[in-house]
Amino acid sequence: MGYLFIIALDMEVISVLKNRQTTVSFIVVILFGFVLFYFGTDGFKAFTAETARLNELKEVKPVFPQVTMEDSKGRTYSLSEFVNKYVLITFLYTSCGTVCPQLEKNMGELYDRLPQYVGKDILFLSISFDPTRDDPDRLETYRKAFGSDGDTWRMARIVDKNELEMLLKRFGVIIIPDGNGNFTHNSAFYLVDKTGRLSEVMDYTKIEEAADKIATLIESETGNKK
Amino acid sequence: MTSFIYGLLLYIFLMIPPVANLVESIMITHMHMQMPLLVIAGFLMGKLFQRKFPFFFKKWNSNGIPGITLFLIIIIYWTIPRTMDEALTVQSIEVFKFISLPFLAGIPLRDSWSKLSSFGRNTVIIIFMIKYFGMGALYIWWPSQLCNNYLLIDQLTLGWGFVTTGICLLLYLIYVFMIDPSDYE
Repeated sequence: MGYLFIIALDMEVISVLKNRQTTVSFIVVILFGFVLFYFGTDGFKAFTAETARLNELKEVKPVFPQVTMEDSKGRTYSLSEFVNKYVLITFLYTSCGTVCPQLEKNMGELYDRLPQYVGKDILFLSISFDPTRDDPDRLETYRKAFGSDGDTWRMARIVDKNELEMLLKRFGVIIIPDGNGNFTHNSAFYLVDKTGRLSEVMDYTKIEEAADKIATLIESETGNKK
Repeated sequence: MTSFIYGLLLYIFLMIPPVANLVESIMITHMHMQMPLLVIAGFLMGKLFQRKFPFFFKKWNSNGIPGITLFLIIIIYWTIPRTMDEALTVQSIEVFKFISLPFLAGIPLRDSWSKLSSFGRNTVIIIFMIKYFGMGALYIWWPSQLCNNYLLIDQLTLGWGFVTTGICLLLYLIYVFMIDPSDYE
């Protein structure tokens, strides 16, 4: 059986070689395939849109747009409220029963790992992309549930739909409503630097790694100042 | 000529925006309905191209191997999770889908399949079977979303769709290897 297979394979190869033009077109096809896969996956680096998105965000470093947020205490402000501080952002909706609680729990753990910087160098901000349901009252309940203090870790919504869309688009957050009031969405820790630019997008399941990265970033800056 | 017209009609039908949006809104119909239908549209239209340019096909695809390889490359390309996402979000990728599947997969398939030996054909089917089981396993067991534009449940459905297709191919291969048609002639 195996022997037959090899003979058959040989015959196929010979018939390829017999015809020069066909050999040429075969090589062209293979090269085309290589080029197609190379560019289609950014040099074999990104086989999913999510990887591609993260790689691109790291390169482009988009600026956090001018949007008005309303937090759980009813205060309204834009990102300039956090001037000269890093801001760690997550996107969520409070009715979410799957990823968001995990995301916020992890965010809380990250918060606890950075006590020497929180408030002084870095602030935490959870942004809801479901502003119709997530009013300040609801955000306040959610805030308490996750032990955020509402000041160094705030929970806010963006009321204006256009502003919200713009932010989500710029930061590559894709949200799909499933028709039952739930959303499927991609999650990550977004770190915005002191100038309002997105500086890092980190895996929200790797808390230790994120904490180390943030500490290094802050340390290197204060080190430069001295 | 008739087959060309049927192919063209199918192609145009698939391009109508509401039709395209509908089949693309569900992951499994995007991959296992729209994409194969585009290939079939090209397959049906292929006859006319074969007639118009007989020498081109004879010269450059004399044994069907370059053609079937191109077909395989295009089909495999469109099973990468990222390409499915980008077909929805990037206009040029969507255009490429509508060009590549009929013209770079459908037409070469038509021209190549009849030129392949039965060994060649079975090899293609084996490649597809392995690929479908592999992709099925990937989509079923991958813990998170592979495509940002589809729900996790869609991903599972697609995974099982792949496995089912893989099983069909396996049954076909078993049939081919077990049964000698001449016994029944």
